[in-house]
Amino acid sequence: MPDAMFPVEIVSGVPVVATPEEIDITNAGGLRAALLESAAHGSGRLVVDMSRTRFCDTAGLHALVSAHKRALADGGEVRLVISGAAVQRIFTITGLNHVIPNFTSLQEALGQTSVS
Amino acid sequence: MTAVDPVTVEARLRDIQSITDAALSRLDDRELLAELLDRIREILQVDTAAVLLLDFSSGQLIATAAAGLEEEVRQGVRIPVGRGFAGRIAAEHRPVILDRVDHTTVLNPILWAKGIQSMMGVPMVAGGKVIGVLHVGSLARRQFTGYDTELLQLTADRAAVAVQSMAAQADRVASAALQRSLVPSALPAVAGVEMAARYVPGRGGVGGDWYDVFTRPTGELCVVIGDVAGSGLAAAVIMGRMRSALRAYALETLDPGEVLARLDRKMQHFEPSALATVLYAVIDAAADQMHVCLAGHFPPVIALPGRPAELVRATPGLMIGVVGGVKRPVTAVTIPPGALLCFYTDGLLERPGELIDDGLTRLCQVVSTQPPEAACAAVMGALIGSEPARDDVALLMIWRQAWPDPPGNIAGADGA
Repeated sequence: MPDAMFPVEIVSGVPVVATPEEIDITNAGGLRAALLESAAHGSGRLVVDMSRTRFCDTAGLHALVSAHKRALADGGEVRLVISGAAVQRIFTITGLNHVIPNFTSLQEALGQTSVS
Repeated sequence: MTAVDPVTVEARLRDIQSITDAALSRLDDRELLAELLDRIREILQVDTAAVLLLDFSSGQLIATAAAGLEEEVRQGVRIPVGRGFAGRIAAEHRPVILDRVDHTTVLNPILWAKGIQSMMGVPMVAGGKVIGVLHVGSLARRQFTGYDTELLQLTADRAAVAVQSMAAQADRVASAALQRSLVPSALPAVAGVEMAARYVPGRGGVGGDWYDVFTRPTGELCVVIGDVAGSGLAAAVIMGRMRSALRAYALETLDPGEVLARLDRKMQHFEPSALATVLYAVIDAAADQMHVCLAGHFPPVIALPGRPAELVRATPGLMIGVVGGVKRPVTAVTIPPGALLCFYTDGLLERPGELIDDGLTRLCQVVSTQPPEAACAAVMGALIGSEPARDDVALLMIWRQAWPDPPGNIAGADGA
């Protein structure tokens, strides 16, 4: 069932999950479910738009890393849109900025083809 | 529509009343489960009633409560989901009625060995997921009706609520006990160094934060602080495994980067779905230098005498549990006499509507060179205050004394 907190939109064939202002242990389960569902609808690529997000704890990161691993195993890809300094900071400290492809705008995340 | 005999209607209302009886709410969850089994056995006039609960990690149903055939529970009967009678109910998520009970239809030999002739079972559902199975059996052959099934389902629904509550309670108690056993009850005594620490569970109970301090046989002081994603018993168990593994690797090698690489390899092999941030630092025996390695964790704060505190400029390294074969940089930090090192988890920095960087700024403003107990109290007071923290918080202060203990400084000698 789609979670109102994590709306999923299909933009030019790619599922885009928009995350709320804060992701923590209380709503990370909803993010996980939205990511799973989107992966089932898409054709391998999945975009998580974190432009609105200002806070994301380890529970939120866990959901994103699981989706990233699952996508890699299925030959797909998870791309993140990170525009805020706060989330950028978290991804730098955790080292995930070098692991999960991330872009500063949704257009970029949707536009570029995978580097391979 | 078929008219139902008023006597039957009255009897049915009595049956339903017996299962939904408000008085049952006064029992604790375990007693409620036992009482429900007794009542359904009486109402349906069957010889056995049993609850099997799903163990999510093994995918097996485990006999947990029984009336009439207690052997099932005593012998710890386990049925894989999808196999046998109970396994089929859990897999198909619907009631099943059996008119023939033998080794071809039922996995559990206790049931057919006792001479059970007919069986009926229903799924126990909570939050849209099957959490177990409730089944009844009769020594005499009989035909269970649709009404019997509905009544059994009503009982299963009520039992599911009790079981959920029991599981949540057990999880809270066990994770709190585990957390207590894992956080060092006393910090090691090391010459020239003083330490203090705090651990506070978050609003949701115990989470996956931990810290550890121990010495190596060659005299180095090893410091660990980490945060396992998740909460409750599952996170506490993973945290416990990481803590022991890290201690073992710390004895094997002095290089903090190598210790975290081995820990990461171990976690990816044995706990592939776990994710954690860890800071590991080795302070040399003279306590004047630290080598620190970060796996997705925030860098420590250092306060030097006469200067504002700042974040240690350590290069970030990848979290534990993401991808194998990653090198994490190790940063050397000089610790002058009087310096205070502050290690923490992100629970300390989180305030709704506030950015992490604001939390880090506030932390640096509060940390100053002072004995570690006072430093802990100041930080907790300024950053946590009286509001229960959203996430759990671990905090560890290590202070290099400004002057070494003078030789012959014996308690009671002061003022002489």
